[in-house]
Amino acid sequence: MKVTRRDLLFWSAGAAAGLIVSPVPWKVLDDTSIWSQNWPWIPQPARGPVDVKQSSCTLCPNGCSVRVRMAAGWPVGISGVATNPISRGALCPLGFGAHQLNWHPQRLRTVRHGLSTSTWDAARAAFAKACSEGPVMVVDGYPGRAASHVLETFAQKHGGQYRVIVGPETRALAPYETMSGVPASALGYDLEHPQTIVSFGAPLLDGWGAPGRFTRLWADRAASSTDPQLRLIQVDPTLSRTAARAWQWIPVKAGSEAALAAGVARVLLEERLVPARGPMPPMTLAEAAAQTGLTTDSIRDLARTIAARTPAVAIANDDNPSIAALNVILGAVGTRGGIVRRSKAAKPYISADAPLPSLRAVLIDSSVPWDFTPQTDAEIFRFAAWDGGPTDGGPRNGAASNASSKPADWLLPAPGFLEELTDVPTAPALPVETYAVAVNLVKSPHQTHSTAGFVNSIDPALPTTETIIHTRCADLFREHSGTLHAQETTPVAKLASAQKLEEQLWKGAVWVGSELAEPHRSANFRCELKEWPTAAASSRSENWLAAWPAPVLPPLAAKLYQDSSLREPPARRNS
Amino acid sequence: MSARYGMVIDLDRCTGCGSCMIACAADNNVPVLPKATARTGLTPLLVRKVSNALEGTARREAFIPIMCMHCEHETPCVTVCPQQAVEVDKATGIVMQMPQRCLGCRYCMTACPYHARYFNWWDPAWPAGMEKSLNPGVAVRMRGVVEKCNMCHARLHSAQEKAAALGKREIDPADYVPACVEACPTAAIRFGNLADKNDPVSQEAHSPNAFRFLARLGTEPKLYYKSSEAWVRALAESASGPVPENKSSEKKLAEVQHG
Repeated sequence: MKVTRRDLLFWSAGAAAGLIVSPVPWKVLDDTSIWSQNWPWIPQPARGPVDVKQSSCTLCPNGCSVRVRMAAGWPVGISGVATNPISRGALCPLGFGAHQLNWHPQRLRTVRHGLSTSTWDAARAAFAKACSEGPVMVVDGYPGRAASHVLETFAQKHGGQYRVIVGPETRALAPYETMSGVPASALGYDLEHPQTIVSFGAPLLDGWGAPGRFTRLWADRAASSTDPQLRLIQVDPTLSRTAARAWQWIPVKAGSEAALAAGVARVLLEERLVPARGPMPPMTLAEAAAQTGLTTDSIRDLARTIAARTPAVAIANDDNPSIAALNVILGAVGTRGGIVRRSKAAKPYISADAPLPSLRAVLIDSSVPWDFTPQTDAEIFRFAAWDGGPTDGGPRNGAASNASSKPADWLLPAPGFLEELTDVPTAPALPVETYAVAVNLVKSPHQTHSTAGFVNSIDPALPTTETIIHTRCADLFREHSGTLHAQETTPVAKLASAQKLEEQLWKGAVWVGSELAEPHRSANFRCELKEWPTAAASSRSENWLAAWPAPVLPPLAAKLYQDSSLREPPARRNS
Repeated sequence: MSARYGMVIDLDRCTGCGSCMIACAADNNVPVLPKATARTGLTPLLVRKVSNALEGTARREAFIPIMCMHCEHETPCVTVCPQQAVEVDKATGIVMQMPQRCLGCRYCMTACPYHARYFNWWDPAWPAGMEKSLNPGVAVRMRGVVEKCNMCHARLHSAQEKAAALGKREIDPADYVPACVEACPTAAIRFGNLADKNDPVSQEAHSPNAFRFLARLGTEPKLYYKSSEAWVRALAESASGPVPENKSSEKKLAEVQHG
């Protein structure tokens, strides 16, 4: 058979037409797409059984309950836990990406001494030598934990000092400590009952306290209503996120919050809008108006609005004594819907920002925010899970700057998110006591040690974190008070043994001393206001990012905030 | 009975925290690409800040989460796709994007009136080790395809599997909640079946302050918004939908107000 050129063309055309109507090209196209998704260099999610565990977030002292989805032993998703009566299923935005933090490029993987790498043995030897040569100071950014007890005991045993760094919520309660003698760490806000809240720059909807507590309360009682059950009045120099959503925004000149508090107090007393009596502020209404940039009429209106719906409470963003004095005038101290005492056992702390004595070494726990650098020439041993890079060398809270301050001589890699067994004491500014345990769900891929574990290795006679947690659980059971919040709410009195209580806590349950609806109030909490305090400037508003203690952000958060132009990350934090 | 899943987003409750954005991206294995910019990055859900363009105490701001609106009628992206990589799921009403079929022509991105679609310009990549934190329920998408919000379809699959294991045909609504809805700390984003008149979300979608962006186009989006503020509702019919406050919302608002 002779094949002609014409036959060849016919055959080719037929083949092409047949191929087009056949499924082959479409199948090849489809398969190519699937193959190209599976190139060896394309990362694939871990395979393995998916397990769900419950724990508590320890990235900040609010200790929100987290539900952790685990695959192949690694956390692959974080969400809130609705059974926690404080956080009520909410988390801060950064919590949703927290499981990525352990793989952050700035994760500290090795011990660093100066500019070179070193070993744990060398760090231990250097710190033990420093302890033998002179006084040491231990700085804790998350006081009240079992680990804090280890650190405090170590400092006392070795003739050193234990100091803390607290957040703005606790700092704002410091004036009440001065007036009443009750430690600020034992006080909290009963926000569930006031009808009016006046926030003097506190970012109540943007990172103040436990994320779910006030945001959910506001959503239930204040949002979407022109005459809400809860009136949120925001005093802020700028239209912050809280101001944007508040029932009323009072724009004042930056740093004039104390003057406004004095002006409002004067109107309340002059017009007898409140039953309480107190010292009249020396500042006249006209002076307050001049300082704040408001009119005298608008200050009068504000005072009358506050007095119209009581209980009313003022919340400061820092240790502004004038705002504390306003609360005394309002009768919001030691009463329902105001500032309450939640604990009789708490003790006062010494702030690490206070002037330092002569020291041989400073040991900084990983819970201390990265931008804290002690103003001392002592040798600094700093635990951190992430390297925040060089800080500006400036101190916090507006104290005098010292160009010689340095982040650390020794950088010691600490456990990251969910890598450390720790307990979760009561969050700042809460009106009730809480307790939870955060189990180390993840094994650190790097050689890390917690600060408490480090001092335990130097002084084995100290109690360990685990034994203290065990003791605390036994104490809670012995008191037979409070309830345990898990899938079901169980009074502690109904539990069979301390072991049962401990088991539940290790599985992610939360112990709550009394219900938020009825916080414990002690009759012996009273503030004496003999004279109106000297005016003090308030610091600027802080928000989610400012309240975030880690020096780095979860990569997704950094990316999305940048893409959406929603927030400007602080320059010191890198993605 | 087929469902029509949709959302009602109460803008009076949105504080602009961004939890929804981060939860969405984490749940859907969105890569963090250093080279990506706001224009070239992947953001299935983006929270925009808008203002009423006034100054002083008269100024008002709001936050608007923007994602795929899951248009029901004449869905623009479905109409233009030459690959049938996009379709409206008859059982759920979800506009599905199938990356395996996508050729990357980006017609759908052009057609989408909400700018809610994103193109994978690069191979997905994470810092070393971070791939261990990926959600195993969601496949990683390859370079060269378009992606968008699919209402956390992996969560729907899980709910369906759970229902099937129990011998049920219908899923328990509590088992299927998208990540953004779950993450919202003020419950501003609510999710439900718009086809069910008894569903609270369906009822809320017909409340007086509810509106949809660019409703005049007639695409019947299944995302409803709510706001008690007239200036926010006015943005819904601006020329190209909501735009970020730092770009030209003032201009758009002026266009609306002055015709």
